[in-house]
Amino acid sequence: MSVSANENPKVSLRAFLAKYSVLIAFAAIVIFFAVASPTFLTPANLFNVLVNNVVMLAIVALGLTIVISSGGIDLSVGVSVDMASMIFVMLLAAGYSGVVGVAGGLGAALIVGILNAILITRLNISPFLATLGVLFIGQSTQQLATSGGQPIYLTSGYAADQFNAIARTALFGVPTPVIVLIVLAVAVHLLLHRSVFGRYVQAMGAQPGVAWYSGIRVPRELSMVHVLCALLAGVTGILLSATVKSYVPLSGNAFLLDAIGATFIGTTLSRERKPSVIGTLLGVLLLAVVKNGLLLVGWNFYWQQVGIGVLVFLVLAASFGLRRAAH
Amino acid sequence: MSATVLHTEVGVSHEKQAAAKSAGRRFGALVVRLGAIAAFAAIMAYFVIFAPGFTSTFNLINVVEQSAILGVLAYGMTAVIIGGGSDVTEGGIDLSIAANMGLCAAVYATLLSMGYGDFLSVLAAIAVGMAVGALNAIAVVGLGILPLLATLAVLNVAAGMELTLTQNTVVGASSPLLGLLVSGSFLGISALAWALIVFSAITIAVIHGTAFGLRLYAVGGHPEAARAAGLSVPFYVSFTYVLSGFCAAVASILTVSRLSASTPGSGELLLSVLAAALLGTVFSRRFVPTMGGTLLSVLFIGLLANGFQLLNVSSYWVNGVQGALILLVVAITSFARGSEGSR
Repeated sequence: MSVSANENPKVSLRAFLAKYSVLIAFAAIVIFFAVASPTFLTPANLFNVLVNNVVMLAIVALGLTIVISSGGIDLSVGVSVDMASMIFVMLLAAGYSGVVGVAGGLGAALIVGILNAILITRLNISPFLATLGVLFIGQSTQQLATSGGQPIYLTSGYAADQFNAIARTALFGVPTPVIVLIVLAVAVHLLLHRSVFGRYVQAMGAQPGVAWYSGIRVPRELSMVHVLCALLAGVTGILLSATVKSYVPLSGNAFLLDAIGATFIGTTLSRERKPSVIGTLLGVLLLAVVKNGLLLVGWNFYWQQVGIGVLVFLVLAASFGLRRAAH
Repeated sequence: MSATVLHTEVGVSHEKQAAAKSAGRRFGALVVRLGAIAAFAAIMAYFVIFAPGFTSTFNLINVVEQSAILGVLAYGMTAVIIGGGSDVTEGGIDLSIAANMGLCAAVYATLLSMGYGDFLSVLAAIAVGMAVGALNAIAVVGLGILPLLATLAVLNVAAGMELTLTQNTVVGASSPLLGLLVSGSFLGISALAWALIVFSAITIAVIHGTAFGLRLYAVGGHPEAARAAGLSVPFYVSFTYVLSGFCAAVASILTVSRLSASTPGSGELLLSVLAAALLGTVFSRRFVPTMGGTLLSVLFIGLLANGFQLLNVSSYWVNGVQGALILLVVAITSFARGSEGSR
């Protein structure tokens, strides 16, 4: 959005800062760590950041971007990650081929998504509570299926090794998981910002009542939103277990808060605070770079968490505070 | 009753309209609500009949004790939801409350182990809890950040600070106050149970028995109208976040006394706290959050876990049943609310 010319220049500067606060913060942080740590900008480190910190979180966050665009929330993304990971690992451990494993994993995530969709669109439960309920049920299911949370390890075998290899290879110098992310991000971007479905989703997020009155089949579109989100989380689940060659119960929940944070950090890019794919990716990059950078500078894991909290707080404060001042 | 009080202040016109529309619909909503409560009662009846020792005084007091921590936290969350409005993405919510409790517990236990007395340590824990609450208030009220986001960032800060303080270890603690909380009793009821009883009585009295509480509902229910009526919306909303921080500090002292230590992982309580605060709405006639409703749902969650334990059902089921119940109750509620017109 351009600022009209007759506005006070001070105000327009504030508006500019508010709009680009995330980008400015991101640039400043990259420069800071590049100076502070010699290893930060090395290809090996950037590869590590992308593969280990960015890809999986970003795919979950893409799903949340769709859901948050529709005006909802999905607290059960961790369950989708875990269920996909669990079924995938169980199938591979039982000797099935990789294709069956992936199909089974995505199928498990699909079931979570359909359950959310039914609860939200058929039973009229608010997305927050519906997905909170599914989160609880998902946690129980995993504990019951793994006698209280025992991890399942994939012993070396054809399919397991194959997947682990794929997770670690690169195509034209780009790691395979990154390619998966790029393909998914472009697809979600087109879907959300360039398709009729995307328009419907945005309309439902902005004005649910109006969306309904203009003839959008809200239940159908909302169901699709939640199913897509669960499926994307499922992809992360499969990537996760392919990378670590195991399924650790309840590990998906770690993505939830970071993904919500990344998506909402991304919303500060737009004046209407709408989520966007580019904003979300930027949010994920910001979190990942800070985590990695703090580690390289020598902060331990505990201080990293404080650092990330403070940073996210400052970015949000700058964005929301400056915007408020600009209005 | 809270609900009765509420609509005399903010919902008068709405109530008249509803009354004019149809008394039958409200009767339908009443039936549905009673149905949800009947479901709760049925589960309790099942435990009473089949779970050995479920109704013994010892066991019931045990449940109240176990519920004390969740209850105090859920009151803080309920206050925030009342003052900020119950819209889930835009309304009031405090995601940092459980992490805040962990931080306060760490501060309390660490200071005790360093040899400071109860008085200073308790004071420090409460100061830390309220400071974290004030940080939330500044972010939400002063800077206008969405509560969901602001408290998410503060959650990370509080959880991280707890970890740096304790290095992710258990910090043992003992003091006269903790000794009193663990083993003290009055009229045959243990100190922890008293803590919940007294805290509940105060909270319910303040929120549902004073003009202050009414105004808090007005601020959360319709900020514009509250502002027009001359209420300082920022003050009331800020108050709820600081109160939530205070509740976190009180809960931290209870949890340290129960475990004789501050332990990592208190953040896991967050979902149960949310569930308790949101589940409580079903006990109110207009499906708004109330302190009494929160207390009932906290006790219900406690009784559920306890009943399962007595029946020798694996504890892995508890989360799932809790989740299923939330869904059941909320589905029924939204069905009933749908007949009043969606909000």
